[in-house]
Amino acid sequence: MIPELGNFALYIAFTLSLLLSIFPAIGLRQNNIRLTSLAPNLSVGIFLFTLFAFGCLVYAFLTDDFTVLNVAQNSNSDLPYYYKIAASFGSHEGSFLLWLVMQSGWMFAVALLSKALPSDMRTRILMVLGWICVGFYAYIIIASNPFETTLPFYPVDGKDLNPLLQDIGMIIHPPLLYMGYVGLSVSFAFAIAALLSGNLDSTWAKWSRPWTAAAWAFLTLGITIGSWWAYSELGWGGWWFWDPVENASFMPWLIATALLHSLAVSEKRNAFKSWTVFLAIAAFSLSLLGTFLVRSGVIVSVHAFASDPSRGVFILILLALVIGGSLLLYSVRAGAIKSVGKFSTLSRESMLWGNNVLLVAATLVVLLGTLLPLVHKEIGLGTISIGEPFFNQMFVYLIVPFALLLGVAPLIRWKQDKIKSLYVPALICLLLSIGLSFSWLFLEFGEVKFFAFLGVVLGLWITLFTIHEMRITWRKLAKLPISHVAMVCGHIGLAFVIAGIGLTSQYSVERDVKMFTGDTADLAGYNFKFDSLKKVDGPNYEGWAAVISINKQQRNVETVYAEKRFYPVQRTTMTEAAIDDGFFRDIYVSLGEQLPDRSWGLRLYVKPYVRWLWIGGIVIALGGFITLFDKRYRRNKRMS
Amino acid sequence: MNNRITMAALPLIVFVVLLGFLLKGLFSDPRERDSALIGKPMPEFVLPDLMSPSVQHKVETLIADGPVILNVWGTWCVTCQYELPYLTKLRNEYGVRIVGIYYDQNHAPEFGQFSDIPKIRIDVKEMVARLGNPYQYNILDLDRNLSLNLGVTGAPESFIVDSQGIIRAHHMGDVNERVWRTYLAPIWNEAK
Repeated sequence: MIPELGNFALYIAFTLSLLLSIFPAIGLRQNNIRLTSLAPNLSVGIFLFTLFAFGCLVYAFLTDDFTVLNVAQNSNSDLPYYYKIAASFGSHEGSFLLWLVMQSGWMFAVALLSKALPSDMRTRILMVLGWICVGFYAYIIIASNPFETTLPFYPVDGKDLNPLLQDIGMIIHPPLLYMGYVGLSVSFAFAIAALLSGNLDSTWAKWSRPWTAAAWAFLTLGITIGSWWAYSELGWGGWWFWDPVENASFMPWLIATALLHSLAVSEKRNAFKSWTVFLAIAAFSLSLLGTFLVRSGVIVSVHAFASDPSRGVFILILLALVIGGSLLLYSVRAGAIKSVGKFSTLSRESMLWGNNVLLVAATLVVLLGTLLPLVHKEIGLGTISIGEPFFNQMFVYLIVPFALLLGVAPLIRWKQDKIKSLYVPALICLLLSIGLSFSWLFLEFGEVKFFAFLGVVLGLWITLFTIHEMRITWRKLAKLPISHVAMVCGHIGLAFVIAGIGLTSQYSVERDVKMFTGDTADLAGYNFKFDSLKKVDGPNYEGWAAVISINKQQRNVETVYAEKRFYPVQRTTMTEAAIDDGFFRDIYVSLGEQLPDRSWGLRLYVKPYVRWLWIGGIVIALGGFITLFDKRYRRNKRMS
Repeated sequence: MNNRITMAALPLIVFVVLLGFLLKGLFSDPRERDSALIGKPMPEFVLPDLMSPSVQHKVETLIADGPVILNVWGTWCVTCQYELPYLTKLRNEYGVRIVGIYYDQNHAPEFGQFSDIPKIRIDVKEMVARLGNPYQYNILDLDRNLSLNLGVTGAPESFIVDSQGIIRAHHMGDVNERVWRTYLAPIWNEAK
């Protein structure tokens, strides 16, 4: 009964989004306020019905309703309740419903918070979101309905959730990522609405900024948590694999970052106008493209959902309509837009232009690396694979100028500035960061490796410049504006990430050992003792845990449990790594196979500063969220 | 002015081209790829015979009598049952030498599951008696190390190894008339 209600609610939401895509358009044409004012109400309705449908699905999972195919395939009566909730978006169908909850949620937020906007602008934005919704809801109803039943022959118990997904990181990672992906549809709607009206003044950029910042912050958090999940769950200590699906989330992030900076130029200086619109379209297009790549089975990945070409065709048509349509509109309208703001070679504008160029180049590198294998194969040149070395090398080239610019840019004034004023601080920062990095690496690790050194120098360069810049602004202004704090957060976070990547990729050590209980092994000054083997059974798995005590200079640091779990329903074995985390280093132990002589294979890692990656990511995201508290955006709303 | 319109249309053009590739990609199998092992020497191994564990097989003994087809299989594998009669026909009619790598799923010592080898022998004898025996002998790859080194992703899979011990072909799925004629036979004749 409940699943049927959920299904029905989805149909209603689809109908409402059809209305939302048509009526306001007629209203705008005829200048009929009664029709245009329907838009916010319809948006609220779509959100409520979608939320209700999602509630029904979660209910079906919690009550083990195996008459629903989705529940039967992705849950099991032994599964703990929090994983049952997570399982409701663990499958393709369920995750798409979650996607729709987010999509309509953002639309709801726009309807609620955009009362200060000119009414035709507001209507247009909601209408564009309505168009997107029509496609998505049609897709879920026709091609991927989460409420499909197993009736009349339903199973007694379900097939269980993929054990890889049974992890806390997996509960929070997809919703955050979707918030980001879908949130970009709001920036997209703002851009399309502006293009449609032909009015691309700086107010458009101002309204779009907080929404873009919010979506971007969610995306940042989603990627960060995803990386942490891979690290703690996949069992071999990696944190980024350049996997097509990771790339699919990274591309919109890069473009959204560019967009965030370019919106600043459009708002403050009325320049980069058509470029900013293009970035807004590209950011959302890349999230859609990412979705297509993940769900259509075009590209093999650890993340791939069950592939089904008919679904792929549907998403591809959606892609063609949304991206093709908006790019067509762009090519017709953007040619006529003139940027007015003039600026010289050394100015805040040119610095942000540099930021944009480098970020777009990075996106192209990732796009090329992800799609080239596909193109290569389809034009009959055989299969190739593009792996880590390509991406790593390209990103080293890109990150150096990026970080150097990033340090200097906040100091430079709009329009034009003199390079002279930069000489002294730049020289001091450079010498300080080189000196500090060298002594740090030498004192801690005893040898200075080039890429770690590079990472730390760049990180310090950014940090020192940021401190210097804050000292200046502090003196000039009584109180630092909140969005300035946000910028500092974003930049310092990036400094952490760059330094962390350099350090952990160069100084991590690992060792494969064969141990009986009672044996010890040494790695990087730590002593690992295999104390005992314990049987650990969970609600839906059975497993073994190796109890490892870690000592440093005869002092016990920590005792950890490295587990190996067997999930009988799915017949899969999972490694649950033991991690002793710390600000300066992680110790990571993963339990391998038992060898014929009854000893166990273990893999030990010591990873310095790996946690800085995620700390940095969270600080960056924090920057995005802080922007939302900027008074300028709120005052604007209260004004009308 | 003209230049600006072209620039504005550029993303659209790029996207349309991309769309074509995506559509094409949708209907081809992403897992279909050239095996990375082709042209490489056969990985080293020392493994017992399935029926008489005192006999040890290795690469040198495998290729001593010339080229060979290595066939990864198991009695639990349904597709393998369809393949057995055809492989037997290849052995009898074309004189193709086929060696089996017996792949057992149930061996997982870390969970206290051990293969029942006497039972496997009985099952194997029963099955080849019923469907045909293409194998000169069977190698028992209990720890699945050899299969792993060969990049086996399931059963059945077949490899052609030439008399120098070089892997010349890798086929996933069952060997049937069509696969033999279009893919394996030309390579086999060349290797011979």
